[in-house]
This record gives sequence, C-alpha cells and structure tokens, in this order.
Amino acid sequence: MAGKSSVAAIYFAILGIVTTAFGIADILVTAGASEFAYGILEISGDLFRGGWGGVIVLFAGLFYLSGIRNFDDIHQFSKVVMGSILIWIMAGCDIFAMITESIPGGEDGPWFNTLDGFIGTYAPPYAPAVLLLPFSLVVVYYIRKRKQEI
Amino acid sequence: MKLTIDQRWDLIDKIAKQTVTFGEYRHTLKDAIGELTIKPFTGIPIAIAVMYAFWSIFGSFAGFFTDGFFVRLFDAYWLPWLQEAFPGQGGWLYAIMVDAGGIEGGEFVLSDNCLESFGVLTSGLFVAIGVVLPAIVIFYLMLALLEDIGYMPRLAVLIDTMLHRIGLHGYAIVPTILSLGCNVPGVTATRILETKKQRFIMMTLLAIFIPCGAQIGIMQDVVPGLMGWILLYLIIGYFIFGYILNKIVPGKAPEFLIDVPPYRRPMLSNIGKKVWGRITGFFKVAIPFVLLGAAIVGVLYQLGVIRFLGDALAPVFVGWFGVPKETAGPLIAAFLRKDLAVAQLSVIEMTEYQMITAVVLVSIYFPCVATFAMMLKEGWKELLGAMAVLTVVVFAYGGLIHLIGILLGVA
Repeated sequence: MAGKSSVAAIYFAILGIVTTAFGIADILVTAGASEFAYGILEISGDLFRGGWGGVIVLFAGLFYLSGIRNFDDIHQFSKVVMGSILIWIMAGCDIFAMITESIPGGEDGPWFNTLDGFIGTYAPPYAPAVLLLPFSLVVVYYIRKRKQEI
Repeated sequence: MKLTIDQRWDLIDKIAKQTVTFGEYRHTLKDAIGELTIKPFTGIPIAIAVMYAFWSIFGSFAGFFTDGFFVRLFDAYWLPWLQEAFPGQGGWLYAIMVDAGGIEGGEFVLSDNCLESFGVLTSGLFVAIGVVLPAIVIFYLMLALLEDIGYMPRLAVLIDTMLHRIGLHGYAIVPTILSLGCNVPGVTATRILETKKQRFIMMTLLAIFIPCGAQIGIMQDVVPGLMGWILLYLIIGYFIFGYILNKIVPGKAPEFLIDVPPYRRPMLSNIGKKVWGRITGFFKVAIPFVLLGAAIVGVLYQLGVIRFLGDALAPVFVGWFGVPKETAGPLIAAFLRKDLAVAQLSVIEMTEYQMITAVVLVSIYFPCVATFAMMLKEGWKELLGAMAVLTVVVFAYGGLIHLIGILLGVA
C-alpha cells in the first residue's frame, strides 16, 4: 500500500511540476502579448484564456504539489483531486469552445460546417489544459481505489 | 397525561437509543473537497476557476447561437425581407418599425444589418431573440447548476469578509449574481438582506454597477475584446462606491449565519424547472420592454428629441466624459434599453478607450425602466436616494475614467 501511494505521489509530483510550468508559461506568454506554438502545444496570448486561464492552470499545479505529501490522508488527497478538477474545468471549457466553433458554417459559408471543416476544428495544436487532461484523469483510478478500500 | 421533567428526559433517552446511531465519523472525499472550497487560501483559486468556467461557457454558448445562426438569419433573411415587404419606405412608421436607415448623398439608404436598423421588428426582435435569449438561457442554466450542486452558499461564505467592507454580507452575492441575469429579480432578492441600510446599498449598487444579461449578451457580441476592461471598471466601481456608501449611510450591517449544505448531484428536473421559471419570468418583463423601448427610442429619434438632447448635452459628454458627441443619443436612449444603447454605440466611430468609457457609462447610467419600476415598488424614498447616488456616481466615476485615460495617454 505504502509503495503504491509513493508511486502515486511521484506521479502527481511530476504532473504538478509540469502543470505549474504550463501555468507560468501561459501567464508569461499573455504578459508578452504574443502567442506561442510548438508541435501540438499552443499557448493563447489573449487575456481571458491565456491570462485568467493560465492562473487557473498554475493553481492546479500548486494543488497537485501541495497534496503529494502524506498522500493517503483524505485532506491531502482532496487537494490532488482538486488539481485535477481545475484541469477538467479548463480543458472542458476549451473543448466546449471547439465544439461550438465546429458546427456553424462561418460568416460566408453554408449554415453548417463541412465534414472536413468540422473535423479540422479538433486537430492540434491544443491548449496546455487539453494536453494535461488525459494525465489528470489518473486521479479517477485513485478515487475508485479509495472507495473500494472503504 | 402530564410528564414530569425527569420522565420527559427518560422518554427522550429511550427514543434516542432507538433512533440515533453513534460511531466515529470518517471524513469522505466530498467533505474534504467541501472544506477546500470554503477556506480562503484554497477556496479563492477554486472560485476563480468556477467564474472562468461560467464566462467561458457563457461566451461559447451565446456565440454559437448568436454569431453562428441568428446573425445570419436576421441580417441575410429577415431584414431584407422586411425591408421589401413593409410598406412606406422612408416614412416615419417604416423608420420606427423596420429601418431608420441613413442619408447618403441626399438619398435614403437602407441598413445592411439588424444592429444598425433600429426598428422594432428588426433591432428589437434581433436583440430580444437573437442576442438575449441564448445569453439568458445559458446564464440561468449555469446559475441553477451552481445552486443545486451546493456551490453558492460556499461562495457566500468565501466572499463574506470582502462584502462586509461595503456594509453587506455573503448573502449579497445572491442578488448580485441574479442581477447579472436581470436587475428586476436582483432588486427583489435584496429582501434577503436584514437591514434597511444593507438593502439600500445593495439596490443602489445593483442599479449602477451590475450589467444585466441582455447588456452582457450584446457586449459579448459587439465589443467582445473590451468586455474584460468594462467589467473590471464596473467591479472596481462596485467596491469603491460600496465602501463610501457604507461609511455615509446610517444603519447596521449585521453578521450572518449560514448552514452550508454538502455537495450534491444536481437533479435534472429541478434544474429544468428553475431555468424555465426564470426564463419565462425574464421574458415576460424583458420582451415587452425591449420592443417598447425600441419603439419609444425610434419615436424620440424621429421627433428629434434625442438629437436635441444630444446637442444640448454634448459639451458634458465630450468635455467631462471624453466620449464623441454622437454617443449622447445612445446614452440618453439607454434609459429605455441599455442593450439597444450598446448596439447603437458599436456603430459609432471612436477609440477603444472611448468605447470602454461609453459602455461603462451606459451601465452606470440610469437603470432600465423595468428596474426603475421595481425599485419604486420597494419604496419611493429608497428610489430617490438611489437616484441621487447614481447622479453623483455617473459624474464622479465617468470623469475619473476619463482622467485615468488622460493620465495613461489613451483618452
């Protein structure tokens, strides 16, 4: 059990460091009033998604880092869960925005988007929170495990 | 049969033994997360994330319907059809109902979109259905979700200390957030505050600094890039003038006790009922006022009243507030419909800072007629007091925003 929770602590420590770095990058890119794209990663420079959103990603990273010590304690574990919830909020908003953009055909196009245009909306690059989303879902495994133990 | 005190206690013990289970309570994950959302150190970041989600989903949903479908439906189909089908092009009835148009080279020119036509059946309907309806649906849906999950009482506890500085307490978040949908239920909800002082401060701040869903919806549509600055000015004003009002208005601002419920899974039927009730309530009040407001604004424009008032007040608008002379008309019309006024402002040529100033002025200017009537219902003395505060705030804060612009070199 102790071994498993130390694996979890290491995993969320790494995720916390990466998430915090993404949050800081978000804020710095927004402060520089520019955009940043590298491979499948894209950091928005607008004040809402990059600035406000960056602060939330940063907080998510800090939640992860503050929750890894004494991981088995429910109050510490809840911080890790909260870190994931913040990532889900951010990624959920980004994905919802993609969905709403992908359906209409645009100003001069048809009423509804073409199939290519629809699929193209979901192609990379993605915001940091969307990239972090699959890694944050690992917490669901630990939530279920805890429930089974009780 | 009459029991003695000892017999009563014995009976209580017997009932308790049969009904109460004693044991050690273990904190669940739900409890621990509930605690995190209430403690300021962890609760504030969570509140920041919840507000982000609120506005992000609001913007995406409203943009999906308004920009994706309604703009095209109204501008490419409804407006041209009405311009053709409605008789008396260029006449006063045509101008009020369909299209006020413009004069180019001495000839009457039709508008090419519903935001510029200013007719009851074009701008009025477009604002009511194309802009306000999606904004209000998603706003009330999100609000109902937050209420039913159990987040709102936590937000009230979290913001309590801050609101005490302006003479209110955590529960004041309820009328404040309700007002972001419509000021009318917001004013009614001020009754949950205990003292006259609190109700007066809340009502005044709502009327001045909280833009309604209709206005937010149209701002999101016509000046999306400036929304953050406009809201920031309004939030700062809310706290500055709240602080001043708390100092000068006599009366008490008591503490509040609240039982914070656990987080719960929301029930779809409850959410549906709440959203439906609020939307129908909003539309019973707002739709007639949007259409009536558009008609009255049209009549006043046709009679030259707004042009006359605009010319008379132009020195104040240009000199004191630093906005172009042309904004005087929409600012005067804002008394009838703030959303229509923002739409009118969007077609006037001005700098970004002037646009921010003008939209903030529309917000802090007189409340719309519906809110005005609701405030009157709460008491004429309160209404007069609020109007006096409002007049001072418009001139003081409007001038201050202009001064900030001058100091920053952007005005």
